[in-house]
Amino acid sequence: MSQVFDKTLDARGLNCPMPLVNARKELGKLELGQVLKVLATDRGSVSDFQGWAKVAKNMVLVGQETEAGEGANVYVHYVKRTA
Amino acid sequence: MTERPNGEVWTAEELLGRLERGDTFFVLDVRNRDEFERFRLEGRRPVPAVNIPYFEMLELGGKDEMLDSVVAYIGRDLADQLPSDRPILAVCAKGDTSEFAAQGLRRLNYTSANLKGGMKAWGEFYATRALAEGPDLAIYQVSRPARGCLSYVVASAGKAIVIDPLRHLHPYLDLARVRGLAIEAVIDTHGHADHISGGRALAGKTGASYYLHPYDAIHPVDVLPATFPYEFIRDGQMFPIGRHELEALHIPGHTLGLVAFRLDDRYLFTGDSIFIRSIARPDLGGKAETWAPLHARSLRRLLGLPGGITVLPGHFSSLDEADQTGRFAASLDDLKTRNDGLVALQRESEDGFVRYLLDSLPRYVPEYVDIKRVNAGLVAPAEEDAATLELGKNVCALSQAYASGGR
Repeated sequence: MSQVFDKTLDARGLNCPMPLVNARKELGKLELGQVLKVLATDRGSVSDFQGWAKVAKNMVLVGQETEAGEGANVYVHYVKRTA
Repeated sequence: MTERPNGEVWTAEELLGRLERGDTFFVLDVRNRDEFERFRLEGRRPVPAVNIPYFEMLELGGKDEMLDSVVAYIGRDLADQLPSDRPILAVCAKGDTSEFAAQGLRRLNYTSANLKGGMKAWGEFYATRALAEGPDLAIYQVSRPARGCLSYVVASAGKAIVIDPLRHLHPYLDLARVRGLAIEAVIDTHGHADHISGGRALAGKTGASYYLHPYDAIHPVDVLPATFPYEFIRDGQMFPIGRHELEALHIPGHTLGLVAFRLDDRYLFTGDSIFIRSIARPDLGGKAETWAPLHARSLRRLLGLPGGITVLPGHFSSLDEADQTGRFAASLDDLKTRNDGLVALQRESEDGFVRYLLDSLPRYVPEYVDIKRVNAGLVAPAEEDAATLELGKNVCALSQAYASGGR
């Protein structure tokens, strides 16, 4: 799957909650309709981004992927600003 | 996270002490709702808790920074649900995110603490307690309190046998080092379904032989044989240990290859047969109707042992089953009067007791089929997957059917 995105946030190596906290800040800097790609190594981020998307009113989670990285999986989240 | 003004931190060990004493506290759990439902803190008494995922606090608090959002959200939306007369323990998966919650609570003048290492540290915490301790005979109960799993080290004259070692080996290796014990045999009472056995790994690390009943070296659902070498356990087999010996009693029912171990008329390591409050379920091999009568006959065999023998079970379902010293042990005679399953066994006919067993089955746990695959060496999960498989408390006993509504 190749997801279109406008900006990348590298949150690899950061522990919960920072990947999501930083993603939320970056999302606020995007134009409406733009997509942020977030790279994280925190496994819990997968379900946390899904949960966040359920309560946030200004974004949708448009895709998630897992990539085998060196030593640790990289969890990739695509969030789109909608409001 | 640089700010930590007078932040109180509870380690898993301190938490266990508080749960055992029945201390009064409240839990603010900031994991997602699925994680909270699957694995929560439980003590002698229910621990009151509220679960607000951190991302909801962040989003609904509406600030850029986590701490500011926590303060805004709790102050506005959660204040009426939080007690001000007792400490509030902030809990998350690994202990970092809950530190924001603990700090936010302090800013709002609540008494708060953070659980160090989160539910991961609690889930992987082990407690070791001596049941008997002398040069002639020492018995240690090694428990994993969050999961309700119990294992044993039996030692005499510098030699030790380990029964049902759990996945992390450090409690056994540390104990052997500190007490100067040579581990000569490692025994699994059966092929476990609820947790990943440390048996093979511990035997490999210490050079000890690994023993299992051959019936439990076959996965009951896949009907595939174990992929590793092991020594067979036979009914009546004696396992010498220093100046004592353990006698194997084959008691099929919970599994086909379940074995209890008896040390004279003094101790009975029951594995998953008789627990303190309840008895084991017969359905985890997927053959409840076929295995329940075997289970009934095996339990009757154990019931005929000397009443003064001390039952040392493989599980507990609630910390409340411990005695006042936190040990899970009771005489067989005592259990005849207060163990739900043994009371039913004495009251019912053969058929009636089988019906009782089949009417008392708790929920089936799908992960248990996979865990048995791991224990038969059919799959080898990575650490994170192993931890996920083992998440939450065991559901090996019948009584959970009534206690939790068989979720």
